[in-house]
Amino acid sequence: MIDMTTLVTILGMAVVTYLTRALGFVLLRKRTLGPQLSQVLNAAPGCVLIAVIAPKFVSGHPADLIALALTGYAASRYSILPVVLFAIVVTAALRAALPT
Amino acid sequence: MNTLESVLNDPPASTPHSELRRGALAALPVLLGFIPLALVLGAQASQHQLKAGEVALMTGLNFGGGSEFAAIELWTSPPALLVIVAMTLLVNSRHLLMGATLAPHLRHLPLKKALGALFFMCDESWAMGLADARQRGGFSLPYFMGVSLCLWTTWVSFSTLGVLLGPLLGDLHSYGLDMAFAAIFLVLLKGMWKGVHAALPWLFSLITAGLFFLMIPGGWYVLAGTLAGLLSAYLWAKP
Repeated sequence: MIDMTTLVTILGMAVVTYLTRALGFVLLRKRTLGPQLSQVLNAAPGCVLIAVIAPKFVSGHPADLIALALTGYAASRYSILPVVLFAIVVTAALRAALPT
Repeated sequence: MNTLESVLNDPPASTPHSELRRGALAALPVLLGFIPLALVLGAQASQHQLKAGEVALMTGLNFGGGSEFAAIELWTSPPALLVIVAMTLLVNSRHLLMGATLAPHLRHLPLKKALGALFFMCDESWAMGLADARQRGGFSLPYFMGVSLCLWTTWVSFSTLGVLLGPLLGDLHSYGLDMAFAAIFLVLLKGMWKGVHAALPWLFSLITAGLFFLMIPGGWYVLAGTLAGLLSAYLWAKP
């Protein structure tokens, strides 16, 4: 049997998360933005992505920072699958070579 | 008309089914990041006395990795309802902007369909859907759903599996699997690259998020970084 508070907490999480997903769309659905605001919104995808992975840039572990730099270089030239495989292998190797 | 030529030049007519399949296949590299992360989430949940069914319910209904890690970190029994829900809202607030950027692509759809698709929007499916739209000159809902359903099914099943396997897993950090996400995001950013000037807001976002991550505990760094980047884009935008 699931505990009542657990159930309500999970449902609460689900509701607020869905609201964040739906609300941005619902608010802009019937509107066209001016050029300035749409320029701002065009920058949003990149800003979100880089902010999510920002902790990797400030980890302070040499192995992780070198791996990140090499991954960035690989990402500038190759497609997603080889870059992901490369990142995993290089990170594991560097962490083994330079333990924290 | 040049039927033969158009047959030779056009890709085979895409059906919703083939688009769904194309999306699911495109999502496969992302699973290299998703599977280990989901297992770790499940393993941590089991240490906080959550049962497999509860984790399946949480990841299935909430489907937001960052907020789930935060929730489980804060989990006590009984859980602190308001703290966890507030933290979830904070960590997922970036979805508001993501949904806004999808508005031009989804507004022609029936509202129910758009609202249903948005339930599955995560960082990866959103960015891949937009990248695909830019490449092919139009947003493909079945492609987006193919990516999303592949990721959702994996996330829910492997986080649940993680609860059961938790004690056996050991330290996944040493395998370097966590770098998969940085790799995926960097490739997606490369796809959005439009020159140094257009990327300056990214730099502001990165610096602000990094500083917040180092100095302010909690999930503020994504929101702070994103807003700093957008503020700089706003200040630079030519009216």
